[in-house]
Amino acid sequence: MAIRKAKTKRVKAAPKKRAAAARKADAVVTEIIRNGLVAITEQMKSNLMRTACNMIIYEAQDFTVGLFDASGNIVSIGIGLPMFVRGMGDTVKAMTAHFGIDGIYPEDVLLTNDAYITGSHLNHMTFAVPIFHDKTLVGFSACMAHWQDIGGSLDGMTKDIYSEGLQVPIVKIYERGKPNKDIFAVIRMNVRLPERAIGDLNAQVAATRLGARCFLDLIKRYGRDALLGGIATIMDHAEAIAREQVLSIPDGTYVAESFMDDDGIDKGQRVPIKVKVIVAGDEMTVDLTDVSKQVKGFYNSGEATGRACCQVAFKCLTSAVEKPINEGSFRPLKIILPPGRVVSAVRPSPMRWWMTFPMTIVDTIFKALAPAIPDRVIAAHHADLMSCMINGRMPGDGRIYLVSGGLIGGGWGAKQGEDGASATICINDGDTHNSPVEQIEAKYPMIVERYALREDSGGAGKWQGGLGVEKVVRAVNEFMFNVQIERVHCRPWGLFGGHPGAGNQIAVRAAGGEELNFPSGKVLARLLKPEEAYILRSGGGGGYGTPLDRPVAKVESDLREGYISRERAERCYGIVFRPGGNEVDLDATIARRAQLRPSFEHLDWSDAAETEHDDHSAADGAFTTGNPALFQRCC
Amino acid sequence: MNRRSDSDLPRARIAADVGGTFTDVVAFDEVSGVSRYGKTLTTPAHLVEGIINGVHKADSQLSGTRLFLHGTTIGINTLIERTGAKTALLTTKGFRDIYEIGRINRPEAYDLFFQKHLPLIPRELRIEVTERISAGGAELIPLDEQEIVSIAQRLKAMDVEAVAILFLHCYANADHEIRAKRIIEEQCPGMFVTSSHELSQEYREYERTSTVAANAYIGPRVRSYLQEVDERLALEKFPGTFFVVQSSGGLFDVSHAQRECIRMLESGPAAGVIGTQAVCKRLGLADAIAFDMGGTTAKAGVVLDGEVMMAGNIMIGGYTQGLPIQIPLIDIQEVGTGGGSIARIETGGGLRVGPQSAGSSPGPVCYGLGGTEPTVTDANLVLGRLAPDRFLGGDMKLDLEGAKRALQTKIAAPLGMNMLDAANGIILIGATTMSHVVTRVTTERGLDAGDFAMVAYGGAGPLHAGLVARELRIPKVIIPLSPGHFSATGMLMADLRRDFVRTWFTRLDSVDFAAMCKLYDAMEAEGRQALENDVAGSGKISTVRAADLRYAGQEHSVTVELPMQLLAKGDRAGIKKRFDAVHAQRFGFNSPNDPAEIVSLHSSVIGRLEKPVPKPLRRSTKPVKPAHRRKVYFAEHKGFVDTPVYARSDLPAGAKFKGPALVEEYASTTVVFPGDKLEVGKYGDLIITIDRR
Repeated sequence: MAIRKAKTKRVKAAPKKRAAAARKADAVVTEIIRNGLVAITEQMKSNLMRTACNMIIYEAQDFTVGLFDASGNIVSIGIGLPMFVRGMGDTVKAMTAHFGIDGIYPEDVLLTNDAYITGSHLNHMTFAVPIFHDKTLVGFSACMAHWQDIGGSLDGMTKDIYSEGLQVPIVKIYERGKPNKDIFAVIRMNVRLPERAIGDLNAQVAATRLGARCFLDLIKRYGRDALLGGIATIMDHAEAIAREQVLSIPDGTYVAESFMDDDGIDKGQRVPIKVKVIVAGDEMTVDLTDVSKQVKGFYNSGEATGRACCQVAFKCLTSAVEKPINEGSFRPLKIILPPGRVVSAVRPSPMRWWMTFPMTIVDTIFKALAPAIPDRVIAAHHADLMSCMINGRMPGDGRIYLVSGGLIGGGWGAKQGEDGASATICINDGDTHNSPVEQIEAKYPMIVERYALREDSGGAGKWQGGLGVEKVVRAVNEFMFNVQIERVHCRPWGLFGGHPGAGNQIAVRAAGGEELNFPSGKVLARLLKPEEAYILRSGGGGGYGTPLDRPVAKVESDLREGYISRERAERCYGIVFRPGGNEVDLDATIARRAQLRPSFEHLDWSDAAETEHDDHSAADGAFTTGNPALFQRCC
Repeated sequence: MNRRSDSDLPRARIAADVGGTFTDVVAFDEVSGVSRYGKTLTTPAHLVEGIINGVHKADSQLSGTRLFLHGTTIGINTLIERTGAKTALLTTKGFRDIYEIGRINRPEAYDLFFQKHLPLIPRELRIEVTERISAGGAELIPLDEQEIVSIAQRLKAMDVEAVAILFLHCYANADHEIRAKRIIEEQCPGMFVTSSHELSQEYREYERTSTVAANAYIGPRVRSYLQEVDERLALEKFPGTFFVVQSSGGLFDVSHAQRECIRMLESGPAAGVIGTQAVCKRLGLADAIAFDMGGTTAKAGVVLDGEVMMAGNIMIGGYTQGLPIQIPLIDIQEVGTGGGSIARIETGGGLRVGPQSAGSSPGPVCYGLGGTEPTVTDANLVLGRLAPDRFLGGDMKLDLEGAKRALQTKIAAPLGMNMLDAANGIILIGATTMSHVVTRVTTERGLDAGDFAMVAYGGAGPLHAGLVARELRIPKVIIPLSPGHFSATGMLMADLRRDFVRTWFTRLDSVDFAAMCKLYDAMEAEGRQALENDVAGSGKISTVRAADLRYAGQEHSVTVELPMQLLAKGDRAGIKKRFDAVHAQRFGFNSPNDPAEIVSLHSSVIGRLEKPVPKPLRRSTKPVKPAHRRKVYFAEHKGFVDTPVYARSDLPAGAKFKGPALVEEYASTTVVFPGDKLEVGKYGDLIITIDRR
């Protein structure tokens, strides 16, 4: 389905609400508090990263720390993962409801990993400590982080939450400072790597306690009323910034639809992602009612994540770099999300791969708003962590090891005025790092043969989508290999005539060198023998604007640098070369571009999501829908 | 380039710190113990001229000089301005894009318009080589030497000026890098060739690539610059030795500096921390925070137990888009708050200070050079802490009315505040922001800033140090002599130094001490060889061994110093105990029952130089008279108070007074806040005890 504007009023409705400007707080103290809150969550973050025991926390930064008010509203979040923006706050609220305000004491440490509360998978152990000042609960300090293992089946597809590991309901792991040894024992018995798990637990508890201590220091410094008043003012300011941005978006109802390849069980059955965005004055509503119902495979996530999709998209468009991240920024946003959708799944639907679908929802919100704010949105990105779960035994002592392969980055969409970024982590993650090849090879019995950009993978456009990457990893000793990659067929779309980027791909290379592709992108519980290799190829970003408008000099430079092939220059960019070399015939190129233009403009490239994948094509996913004649000419 | 002559022993040491705006020269006379200063404008077209001007302004001669110590921003500017050489990278097959892929992170996670780092070497000049070494150092694929020869021919044909070589796991086996370098050098005489293991033997291929690429990129320019300085020194009949300051705070000789250019990127800031260490020593302090505030940034470093705290890498150009350099250097954190930081009102009404800066052009409103946005310096002027007719010794008149107008119309009126409250607020916000950068080198390292003294310098440091200290409950602030020249002074206090880090993964409980000591011995032998010539006659060589240790399974390690007796005894338990203790201090917990592993071995080889002994100041405890008095605003007094202003040159050792007061000197003003007490130390340091109410 094409981008469509159902209703656009150019005249803005009057803003309904204004930030409560009446609140009076000292501007200087407020700013000092604002800086202080950002500094506290930064400190919590660095403390956690330096003390955590698993790479998913300290390299992938799969965690978030934050401060919350006594009702669970976000005061300051240190990202981590942007998609965690809701999970912690909603969890703190659930904890408060569970114990009641009177049931929470100083020095308590609250814990849960209830997937339907955090909105994500069971690996996300979420801790919160209440902050008391003079016996009054003034807030919470919390930390959500990914444990390497939480028990459950190691390989294959899960079909309900019970097979995904240990579920810890809302509990007090410390009550009034005293550890509950029974819960520690339950955890130790249910996870594969208890030392690391307890190490991560300690790191998380230390980080949350640090946050609480620093928050109390601010109170000591400026007084409770000044601090809480300052926080209220900071939220009002954040709200005002967001409202001003929404006000600049033309009123209207904007819809867009995209698809996921499948849910891993009903192979090839596309999963629709349909969003509606309503802009009225300085308020925005995102309606996810028409997003697919929850699915059989483990791609579901909970309501907290469905809401996070909307908030992440909203923050990107309204106050991307405003800090601290706080509840005020989200006040102009309303979210409609009935239960039972793939991003508001209910028990006992499986949630292990919670993070993939929401990224495409965020991209689809940008797609919906593209006609309204063409200069502020971005074409689709590869939208997958490209993560693979590997487990095996160390050759020396037979110890079990679990390693998260992948996290290789991929192409991002182009924007008005800028090419897309290459080889960058998807929107679910933020300051997430890949693992150095030298580290992987030192720690695990595998050899990385190649980690490189994928030529021609960026969607062609006036501004070109970023390039995806390819990583080839050979087994030295055998290991089990699981990967669940999406958007193999439903490729990252372009905007305003920009072409789609290449889809994500996964392949296994047999010892003989033959490459087996997996058109579904999903390889479950495959034993990789020595000398066999897995190959991850991440997709490129969608292009922006018709490629025929890309300056010839840029195409030449891309060709010289090897980012694109000569064939692509000819087919997608209408470049004509002089015979016998790479020199561009400018006149012929102008003529060729004029000739191509009508056919390029007829096809709506922005909607070109569907690809029938050629299982044996090694490089770019072949593009075969739409006009086959055109395909001959382009991409 | 050692021109020491025994027959004629000159007695001066000259340090020259060339910055973007100013060239600072300090000449220290070893006989009289007196320092003379020369501040001149940097001469960008011909940097060496600025140095010579500075030497003359300091009333000194290079012909009578024994040591010439130099810090320069030429390396970092070449990187940031992207004016380096046409550079190629040779790397292991399959990995030429490592440099462009980087670490794939998006630190500004919600910013759709984020930008990645931009490699210094374009993709077409990143060339893959057939070779492969394993993590254990075994040769998996032999080096194709013939291929290197043909690559060398291509490089020549393309007019490449510099070549960086990075092969995977070279720290485990550098043979391929060594051979490839030798072939390129043979084939391309005169080309600047550098290989990664010479700079970093630590794992992390992207960071090492970035390091060696940057070294190649700036190499030709830095090499010829140092050559030019050296020749000019010869022309001035300089008979002594020429050393360059590294980011580690140590000195190295020009021949090393010309090959390992990347080590001098942060020489100025590093020298400031070395200066702080020297201040600690002369005042008998074990711990101090080095606080350096200039026009656009504030920086903080730490001296702990008399030693400077080090880090293993730095991002040049900032965390989000910067290029990592992986070498041992002084741990200095930076924030975009300085005298030029602009105050503005954000949508919704929030008052923000920085990181936007008016810089030196157009500069603050009060400079009268076209600046229209109120800055921290404007606020200081309005509050009377700077005087309109006394800036830079009266060389530059400041526009007080303009500053008032800007603060009134841009900040005070929209916020409904009194203009003076607004100005004071801007200063306070700046101070708290700067306090957070201090936190980053203390609290985040498990240290409590309140246990430290603070040595404040840089043009704007002494104006703000009292406030930053209050934020952090720091009890004592020290303003050294000539805080505006402090980096140059610090250079005089530096030692020769070579740092080595070598990745060597092994479990501590099964470590082979003989193998370990062999690695240390090799690093030390290389270091000694590099330094022996330079220290001969004027110092002695010592070595420090340390290791990066972590709990098995963790990634983040801590550097633990390893005393020789622990190594000699092969005392695993003793090392483990030390590690557990450092871990607890740094991270707040430890796991004594968990096994530890060694990640990297560190060796520092230090050639101790005799330090200049400053001359004690004339001592007098008689009450000192202020040079004049003026009205200065202090929030504690809710307005302006009549405040004594002392000329620093009038203050003898032992002079004492209480705040509020100002101490003025060339290029710097110290604010003594109400309640604080100042005493002048034996060597002229202003020692301010902060009021802890």
